[in-house]
Amino acid sequence: MIRVNDTNVEWRSGMTVTLALEAMGYDFPLISVFVNEQFVPEIDHDSFEIPDGADVKAIHIHHGG
Amino acid sequence: MADRMEITVNGKTVGVQKDSYLLAAVTDAGFEVPTLCHHKDLTPGGSCRLCLCEVEDGGRKKLVTACNYPVRGPVTVRTDTAEIAQHRKILAEMYLGRWPGVPVVQMIARECGVTTSRFASEITDDAPNACILCGHCVRACDEFMIERVLEFAGRGIKRHLTMPFGEVDHHCVTCSSCAYVCPTGAIEIVDDKNRPLDAKAIRDHGMKVNAEMATLDSKQCRMREVGTANIVDVMDAYDLLPVHNYKFGKHPEAKKLYSTTLKAEYFTQGAADACWRGCSMACAKAVDGFTLKTGPYKGQQVLVDGPEYETAAGAANMGCFDGDFCVEFNFYCDTYGIDTISAATAIAFAMEVFEAGVITTKETGGIELRFGAADEALTLLHQMADGEGFGVDVGQGIRWMKEKWGKDGEHAAFLQDIGMEVKGLEFSEYVTKESLAQQGGYGFAIKGPQHDEAWLIFMDMVNKQIPTFEDKAEALHYFPLFRTWFGLMGLCKIVWNDVVPADNAVQEEAHKIPGHVRNYWKFFEGLTGIELDEQKMLDQSARVYNLQRILCRMLGFGTRKDDMVPYRAAGPVTREEYESRADRYDGQLADVVGVDPAGKSTEEKMKILRDFREGQYEKLADAVYRRRGWTEDGVPKVETLAALGIDLPELVEVIKADQ
Ligand code: SF4
Ligand code: FES
Repeated sequence: MIRVNDTNVEWRSGMTVTLALEAMGYDFPLISVFVNEQFVPEIDHDSFEIPDGADVKAIHIHHGG
Repeated sequence: MADRMEITVNGKTVGVQKDSYLLAAVTDAGFEVPTLCHHKDLTPGGSCRLCLCEVEDGGRKKLVTACNYPVRGPVTVRTDTAEIAQHRKILAEMYLGRWPGVPVVQMIARECGVTTSRFASEITDDAPNACILCGHCVRACDEFMIERVLEFAGRGIKRHLTMPFGEVDHHCVTCSSCAYVCPTGAIEIVDDKNRPLDAKAIRDHGMKVNAEMATLDSKQCRMREVGTANIVDVMDAYDLLPVHNYKFGKHPEAKKLYSTTLKAEYFTQGAADACWRGCSMACAKAVDGFTLKTGPYKGQQVLVDGPEYETAAGAANMGCFDGDFCVEFNFYCDTYGIDTISAATAIAFAMEVFEAGVITTKETGGIELRFGAADEALTLLHQMADGEGFGVDVGQGIRWMKEKWGKDGEHAAFLQDIGMEVKGLEFSEYVTKESLAQQGGYGFAIKGPQHDEAWLIFMDMVNKQIPTFEDKAEALHYFPLFRTWFGLMGLCKIVWNDVVPADNAVQEEAHKIPGHVRNYWKFFEGLTGIELDEQKMLDQSARVYNLQRILCRMLGFGTRKDDMVPYRAAGPVTREEYESRADRYDGQLADVVGVDPAGKSTEEKMKILRDFREGQYEKLADAVYRRRGWTEDGVPKVETLAALGIDLPELVEVIKADQ
């Protein structure tokens, strides 16, 4: 299990940042991702594998209005 | 999402993004390559050829210009072979022969090992600020400002920079981007007509925004391409797009109003109208040659300014998922001088009231005003403008309609719950049920539920960055003051967070977009000479903000009861709403409220959830008023005015009874 923005998400081996964002339905273009407080640049979202138990923050830069 | 790959540069393995230009990979890896026509914020010029590198791809070697060579495979790169050095040397010598006095040319020649040139000729220009035909200015005009005022003319040695027909082009807005990117000083700014104190500081920071628009916007919010309509797609995906008078946050037909649809079927690019000539974002869009189907201009072809997000979302709120309707509604609202938000929200309310049977065709004058009734909504809009029929009622706004139809008492509570207004103003187009902070963003806003004080839905609901009442209150202190400051200065908010610096993610307090906040301070400082910091900026706003609240008080408003939101903003009013998201609400009852939903009727669960959420809002009000230095009833304290230096007797007089 990992936590993404304080929500439990089932972890599976090889789960990349991209897959975790997909699992949350996050497709906003301005998302900054931190895995266990480490910033993961967008270029690495496809390859960075999230370890089990990780705390993931997917910060949507607010927008709207 | 980016495709990452690895290439080898001078024996070193380097990670790159597929399709990125080789020059970036080479310099990121720590190797220097001379460039003359390249500029970091502009598309590659590819004309000077100084950036030549050797690329080995599948055993074949070739020389490429690194600045415009897109990396598409795991190539091996050399930046420093003897052949490359020889090429660069000859090029540098030629440049030095033509422009021997230009410092940037001298510097590059030195880097290439050249100090004198064999190529002096009759076209040699000794001036230190000669134009070296790098093309930065041409590209900046096009890419920063979306103008084509500058261009090269002539061939070979006659090539030169000019405006069309060699005359000053009236399309030039004197933005000075060309001068800013010119590496030689060939374009010079001779006069700053507004005579700001420090024009350079303003320009330096303004150009950062221009550069971001040119380089980042297409990967971020696509403001230039589709304007604020880009949010329709996002809000629908996050269950935040108002549908059927804010009952729901998404709809299967919403795609008909997505920015992608608007772009493909309606927007006439090139007819965009920026708020002022020279805005590098130019987010306003236009629909050209639209044939109207209704109203006084029926059959005529018109140009429509929009649709913006709020107008498209307003169409969704009325259940009218129809691009033609949206554009026509947009046109007539503009033509009649009616706000698209208030009109859409008021009509959506009337539609729900009609569907609930509170009013019938007797009240509507025969109009079957159901959700999705696009023709009927337009009829109503024309009636509003003409002061005729049922349009007269709807045109008075939701507060008025609630009072009229709730008079008998039977429906008053329901109308209050679903009537999306606060302080007499209709809500703008976002669903706030799952964001307590945004309920406050609407409820506590001085002029009513619009979002230009605070848009906190992502911070609160999605990012979970502000979990406590105090966190939310802090956000409801900072953002309304920060955004009030835009109004005070007459500056646009859009360039604050609809494009963000590339390094924003790793900045402290990234949600405030600190790089852009500093830009705004620099604009202020450049104009006035007064240095700003966060506290000074907030204090400037707080004086006005508190004054506005006191003005509300003078008019008999401006207390806690005036900040309360209708329950539709906070939770599900109807059974249909609750059951449409039963998993979410049941889960919250169990996890957040601490009540087992099992065995309870929908009505029982709705009541428990409502009591909880209304209690949360009251607690939020306590925290917000505390943070703002207001009384428990939401009135500024005299000591708050004193701290801001605005405890004028005439203001204190207004609020003293409330202390
Ligand atoms: S005017 Fe300046 S920016 Fe424009 S082409 Fe000449 S040197 Fe380059
Ligand atoms: S920098 Fe001029 S061609 Fe690449």
